[in-house]
Amino acid sequence: MKALAYILPSLFLAIVLIASVKKVKVYDSFAEGIKGAVPLVLSLFPYIAAMLILSSLFAASGLSAALEKALSPFFSLLGIPPEIAGLVLVKPLSGSGSAALLSEIFAEYGADSYIGRCASVVYAVGETVFYLSAVYFAGSKRRAPLLPVCIALVSNFAAVVVGCLCCRLF
Amino acid sequence: MNRLFAVVFVLSCAALLRRDPAAFLPALLRGAEDALKLGAAFAAVYAVWLGILKVAENARLTDALAGGLRPLTSRLFRVRDGETLGHIAVNLSANFFGMGGAATPAGVSAMRRLEGEKGGYARAMLFAVNSAGVQLVPVTLLALREKFGAASPYDILPPVFAASLVSLAAGMLLVRLIYGRKGG
Repeated sequence: MKALAYILPSLFLAIVLIASVKKVKVYDSFAEGIKGAVPLVLSLFPYIAAMLILSSLFAASGLSAALEKALSPFFSLLGIPPEIAGLVLVKPLSGSGSAALLSEIFAEYGADSYIGRCASVVYAVGETVFYLSAVYFAGSKRRAPLLPVCIALVSNFAAVVVGCLCCRLF
Repeated sequence: MNRLFAVVFVLSCAALLRRDPAAFLPALLRGAEDALKLGAAFAAVYAVWLGILKVAENARLTDALAGGLRPLTSRLFRVRDGETLGHIAVNLSANFFGMGGAATPAGVSAMRRLEGEKGGYARAMLFAVNSAGVQLVPVTLLALREKFGAASPYDILPPVFAASLVSLAAGMLLVRLIYGRKGG
């Protein structure tokens, strides 16, 4: 794990060194790159805000808990422990939320338990799809990106089923 | 997406009206506050990564990376434009090495550049590959497992990797099947 900490500084160092050797104007280029960041963030912000407001409302309404309860028989049929149903549902919505849930599961069942291992796989597989779609398709003029989102959700769910199966085998 | 937003919003409002109407505004504001924090974090992360990315670009380093990955990316995404392929290459490799901070800005600018592509095939493919989130070392997960006393935090990697590959394969297959014919 320690070695990982060296990767990033080395990468930046290498880029700046090579750029200097090639007589690139490092300072101007760096500033020019940042200039592009401002409109990007500004164009993303409204969509992220709308998404987070909605998910906060959804959690507060108790609907997410109800949905969780309704889906747990379906999950256990597919070999997903019902204890982690909440994590499976939160995962596509919020990265920090699913990290919080994962810690709760570890604290309750232990990191090495079957449930803990399944939860690890659910947490590590796939991105927070709704968040990613808000960011990647923000301000898109083309048709609604519902289809790509569904594709991502379906394939990540398939991965969760396979991952839980693997946890039982290994 | 608009319909989905409206449906979830209406249902949540209705449920909240029955349960606890006073919690309505605080919930909305909490979401907005989170968004503000996230937006500030974004601005910081993007400034750093897009800055260094531009330096790498001007030093022709991203061209080299894109060139190395070109046989793979141009076939998978059906795109010819060099600069777009460069951003895609940075996005994919940063994701694989767990540098989400570098991956997102490159991915977003690639998505913008792909807006003109017909059929939406390339955008859907890039989104699918990103959603699968195949990662060499899932750092947060390993840290959490270590913290909660796993005997061997790393023994989770085989199932995680297998599941990630399933997600990647399923995503690519579905995009091919659904968008494949239109994309040409």
